[in-house]
Amino acid sequence: MSTNALGINMSPQIKREAKRWNQLYKIMTEPKPDIVPTPRECVWKRNKTTLWFHPAKEKRYETPIFLVYSLLNKVYILDVGEGSSVVGGLTELGYDVYLLDWGSPGLEDRELTLDNYIVDYLENAVKRALRHSRANDITMAGYCLGGTTAAIITSITKLPIKNLVLAAVPIDFSIGIVPDKWLEGIQKGQLSFDRFAEAHETLPSEFLYLMFRMLSPIYGSPKINLFTRAHDEKYVEKWRRMDKWTKDTASFAGAAFKQLFNDFYKDNKLLKGELLIGGRKVELKNIKCPLFVFSCSRDNLILEQQSLPVMELVSSEDKTYKVFEGGHVSLALTGAFAGIMDPWLSAHSKEILKVQHN
Amino acid sequence: MSTGKTYDPFVGLQLVSEMWEKQLNGLLYKLTDNKEFVQTANIGLDVYSRYLERFRKNQELIAALMNIPTKKDIANAAKMSIQAEEKIDNLEEQIWSLQDGLNLANKGNLEMFQEMVRIVKQLQTEFQTIAQEVSETKIMKADLQEIRQGLFNMKIIQVNLQELRKEIDGLKSLKSDSQTVPAAAMKTVIEKEKPKQKKEQEKKQNKELVLTGAEPSKKL
Repeated sequence: MSTNALGINMSPQIKREAKRWNQLYKIMTEPKPDIVPTPRECVWKRNKTTLWFHPAKEKRYETPIFLVYSLLNKVYILDVGEGSSVVGGLTELGYDVYLLDWGSPGLEDRELTLDNYIVDYLENAVKRALRHSRANDITMAGYCLGGTTAAIITSITKLPIKNLVLAAVPIDFSIGIVPDKWLEGIQKGQLSFDRFAEAHETLPSEFLYLMFRMLSPIYGSPKINLFTRAHDEKYVEKWRRMDKWTKDTASFAGAAFKQLFNDFYKDNKLLKGELLIGGRKVELKNIKCPLFVFSCSRDNLILEQQSLPVMELVSSEDKTYKVFEGGHVSLALTGAFAGIMDPWLSAHSKEILKVQHN
Repeated sequence: MSTGKTYDPFVGLQLVSEMWEKQLNGLLYKLTDNKEFVQTANIGLDVYSRYLERFRKNQELIAALMNIPTKKDIANAAKMSIQAEEKIDNLEEQIWSLQDGLNLANKGNLEMFQEMVRIVKQLQTEFQTIAQEVSETKIMKADLQEIRQGLFNMKIIQVNLQELRKEIDGLKSLKSDSQTVPAAAMKTVIEKEKPKQKKEQEKKQNKELVLTGAEPSKKL
């Protein structure tokens, strides 16, 4: 039993409850937490896109990592704060990290297509990263839809890509977590988002938030989890950052949205090898570099079956596929991505030879 | 019997809510997984999009009548600045390629200069050996000139010896003549002839000296 400032004896249970309600009160009254990024410098900027460089704390590998996240998310999904950051984890392990921030498109970007995003922004950013790092080659690592774009760029570019890492990546768009009839409707043209995208020109972030919510309309578990563990300060801190990210979705260029639905969800062109990006045909068989693909066992956004076809389509001789315990969002927001990637990547990255002075 | 654990109502709440959430989501999934829902959703999307388009069109029209810039006008201005940014980016890339080209040329030039320095050094050593050889040749030339001078002196001696031989021959013929011509007359003739012969001999000697062409070489 402990005594508080008023001299009242408090049992551990009461103390815990007091802390729980105190924390909950704080969450309701205080503003959302600031996300402090891992130390970084801006390498390149074009329109809303920014290429960030996160130097390794103690550089161990010559091959830098280029991280690509989904166009539907905000950049801090991969750098959500110390202790849970994918970028921070990788820099601590000795990798130089380049992270491409897609930004949030405005009305002026309504005509941006996936071709623009992949060729004008992503390919140029990789070029800039290679020049900035003075490295001979680079590792591409993509998460979710960022993995799809990373696979596309690797198959069409002539830039020296040493390794390709794809985490929870959708390659086959003919299956998904949405009801089958919806997918069938999209594939048969009975459900079209073309006019909707044209009317909006640039889809507002609120619509994208609603779209994510539609995937699981009843969504009370995060709040119940918070109530249950509100006495744990560390958990509350992480929860607040995750909550901020969940509600902070990016807007989406109308032309890119139309292309995403028509080329990927409707025609499944990537899997069929019919996709054209920047006038170049995207054929995954052009990927010859070492490949590491992994899925999460409790992923409720991207199914394992959506990622698996990539293993058959690429020409890489050195390819690994693994399934890890965890969820789709937690993979990035807990920083687990870095730990999962490291054992494979360290064996495939050029290590810096240390000169020993006697 | 007590297990020593205290009852935590939140754990129960969590379990129940998770169960409810799953079931309700499953129910909604099933309710929407049909053709009719898809068709209705599509119609809904179309109607919404049509009204949104009309609303925006009217908004643009009113703004144009009132000379008020719309978000589209600002977006168009922003687009121009983005295009300028892209042009600057392209220029930067061209500067890069120029820089790379220059670096490559510089590298080539450096290699060429290194080769030139190597050749010059080689030439320097070769010149040194040549200079040494030239000095040796000079010494040989001086020696040859000495030999030539010696030969020239020997030729003079040879000429003198020839003259002497002639004189001896002349004396021999005189001796034979003296046996026929009186000695006194001979003596006068000889005395008269002697200075003449001397002069002629001197002339000849000078002539031969010129004819041999062996002028003493000019000293360098």
